[in-house]
Amino acid sequence: MSNTPGSPTLHSNAAMAVELTGITKRFGAFVANDGIDLAVRRGEIHAIIGENGAGKTTLMNILFGLLQPDEGSIRLNGEAIVIADPSVAIKAGLGMVHQHFKLVPSLSVADNVFLGMEIRRHGLIDHAAQIARTRDLSKRFGLQVDPTERVGLLSVGIEQRIEILKVLVRGARTIILDEPTAVLTPQESRELFQTLRSFVAEGMTVIFISHHLEEVMEVSDTVTVLRNGRKVATRPTAELSKDELVHMMVGREVSFDRRPRASLHGDVVLEVKDLWARDDRLLPALRDASFTVRSGEVVGIAGVAGNGQTELAEVLSGLRPASHGGAWLKGRNLTALSPAAIRQAGLAHVPGDRMVRGVDRNASIAANTLMGRQHRAPWSRAGMLNWNAINQNAETLIKSFDIRARGPGDAVKRLSGGNIQKVVLAREFTNGANFLLIDQPTRGVDIGAQEAIHDEIMRQRAAGRAILLISVQLDELAALADRILVMFNGRIMGEVAGDDADEERIGMMMAGVAAPEFAAETAS
Amino acid sequence: MEILDKLINVALIAATLRTTAPILLVALGGSFTTKAGIFNIGLEGQMLVGAFFAVLGSIWTGSALAGVACGVAAALVFALVFAVLVVSFKANEVVVGLALNILAGGMTISLMKAIFGTRGSIVGHGIVGLPKVQLPGARDLLGSWAPLISGFTPLVYAAFIAVPLLVVCYNRTRLGLYIRVVGEKPEAAEALGISITRVRYIASLLCGLLAGLAGAHLSLGYITMFTENMSSGRGFMAVAILIFSNGDPLKVLAGCLLFGFADAFSLRLQTFGYPSYLVLTVPYVVALIALFALSYRARPRIIAETLESMRKLLSVDKNTEAGGKNPQ
Repeated sequence: MSNTPGSPTLHSNAAMAVELTGITKRFGAFVANDGIDLAVRRGEIHAIIGENGAGKTTLMNILFGLLQPDEGSIRLNGEAIVIADPSVAIKAGLGMVHQHFKLVPSLSVADNVFLGMEIRRHGLIDHAAQIARTRDLSKRFGLQVDPTERVGLLSVGIEQRIEILKVLVRGARTIILDEPTAVLTPQESRELFQTLRSFVAEGMTVIFISHHLEEVMEVSDTVTVLRNGRKVATRPTAELSKDELVHMMVGREVSFDRRPRASLHGDVVLEVKDLWARDDRLLPALRDASFTVRSGEVVGIAGVAGNGQTELAEVLSGLRPASHGGAWLKGRNLTALSPAAIRQAGLAHVPGDRMVRGVDRNASIAANTLMGRQHRAPWSRAGMLNWNAINQNAETLIKSFDIRARGPGDAVKRLSGGNIQKVVLAREFTNGANFLLIDQPTRGVDIGAQEAIHDEIMRQRAAGRAILLISVQLDELAALADRILVMFNGRIMGEVAGDDADEERIGMMMAGVAAPEFAAETAS
Repeated sequence: MEILDKLINVALIAATLRTTAPILLVALGGSFTTKAGIFNIGLEGQMLVGAFFAVLGSIWTGSALAGVACGVAAALVFALVFAVLVVSFKANEVVVGLALNILAGGMTISLMKAIFGTRGSIVGHGIVGLPKVQLPGARDLLGSWAPLISGFTPLVYAAFIAVPLLVVCYNRTRLGLYIRVVGEKPEAAEALGISITRVRYIASLLCGLLAGLAGAHLSLGYITMFTENMSSGRGFMAVAILIFSNGDPLKVLAGCLLFGFADAFSLRLQTFGYPSYLVLTVPYVVALIALFALSYRARPRIIAETLESMRKLLSVDKNTEAGGKNPQ
């Protein structure tokens, strides 16, 4: 490990930690990176921002040696280098924290941190030394973990700290983080930012990929904006406003503000009462949930991923049995019905994992829009599918939902994430169901498509549908929901009206603090 | 009479250790592939060629040790073919495993016919069996219990010593750790520059080594002969034990002891004149029941969870009331 350096001198011509010149990467005919130049100063937090598919992750994978550029060159600390694979990058002092963690659940925290570079004594792994080193590092950078705990039992936020420790223990001086806050609560994000600042204070460099504007504004020194595989600009963060940043990202204005709405709450469509359910390990994952959704109302469910939202969605759609309590859709108890019967009773479900439960990725758009209604006229007659009607219907849906595809015969796997999601929405929203269960509608979807999806949800609201919107993105809930319920550890911690959704309050509940007044009391 | 009972018990336990050894060796071999994320159904075939070539080597060289080496070498060749097809060429492991099992069955029969001109079994021909190891001082120390630790062939000791060695291997050595990581989270291994291919090859070959020893124990251990299909499903029982133990050495040991005990018990029953066809099913029936019981064990837990959720349900009423007071 290198010694702690003195405070770095930062002037405009300070040495560059990373210089990428003219990086181009093609996948077949698709150009993911098109002549990108990127210069990152040593000792800064450099954010790379752009929509999905803008080429951020591709660029970082090239820097880390996971991909080879077709054109262009890389310099680290002023020296030209060819990064043939990640081991070269690690030796050169780069470290990458991926979006998807690669930890081994059955091993301890310390074992995971030192995996691949174990401390050994007499040929055997020295667990005590590994635990001590992990403890030292975690103290030094404020990354709280218990080195002896098994990773399988820990939360996502802690898993991320372990990934960062892994990078540190390998002696990284430049740390790349790919969408690090996507899985964190607002409080955890703030802690992460503090850690990142402590890195910079020790003279390290941080490259930070994000599509979350506010945190980029909050934490970064410099921003590079990518759009459609090209670099739009690199600017000091202090000189930028949020609006300018959005404009550079999407090339046009996008509103993140709360959608205008008329109050049109009607009858109760869904009533959930004392609902309990277990997760796959048979532990209680949903605890005593009770709420209602009225027609013409969007009820949002906020929470860090993995706090019972998935189980709630699965129980409501009939994919998971309830262990206690019930959910009534127009008076019929869903917990006693099969998924098909629940759909008959009037549920449309936009599942959280669209590639697993939303679509058959190998089938065509037409076939995907058919699913679930294949027994009904006009799509089938006398047990035979009527492909003319199916294709015509798909054609109509492609137009009305603005799905960017060549035609109904296009395989779904050829579409981008946003367009795949639009295929799911097109199918689910045209079912005539009066209760819409929408889980993470814009996960992995670019800003343009996000806007279209939000528009569509508001149209459904205006049409008098009852909507339960589960999302880990607070801005999405704040924009769309009439009421926001916050889940923590399977329990609904409280409710906030959409009109005065306040990140601080929701964040406290997401972190498990029951009622905001209670938090105020303990703080005083 | 009491003394007689005691002797029979000691003999039965000693027999259990003897019958446990081959299945323990092959299951510990399979533990390496299981931990490395390979479903190795080819244990049976590797064991069978191990048994055959151990006999062949023993006849050729006149040495039991060389025979064991021959058996191990043959099993390693099978393991290597398995690894090449499954690891390098990514063929389906069940198909390859089954094919190699069938090949092993047919090959040993054909070779038997070609070399010895017989079908069925090879007896005599100067096969040298493994010696029994009499531990000095065992009789002084344990008296009539001495047969429990003394008088076994070397491979029985090897099988039981291998258990703690594997425990240490998985927990304290780099290779063992990498085998576990490759099986549990291959993408993590890849990201850290651990070669999945290399680790899986090593695991496959270690498996072949132990399967070969298991085979050699069958044909050179307590009976010095080779018969057609002499592994008689032990490789498959090992696969079943591996599935339920997830390859953990101690659980593998427990499963194998159970099977070994049933095996020894059935041998004992045979001497009492029960029909041999029925008696021979005993170990398999016992193993099946045990495996079923293991998977059934999850059920009381569900009941416990329900009770817990009900209890919490009763205690949270206060909380929801407090939540309801919030102004909206």
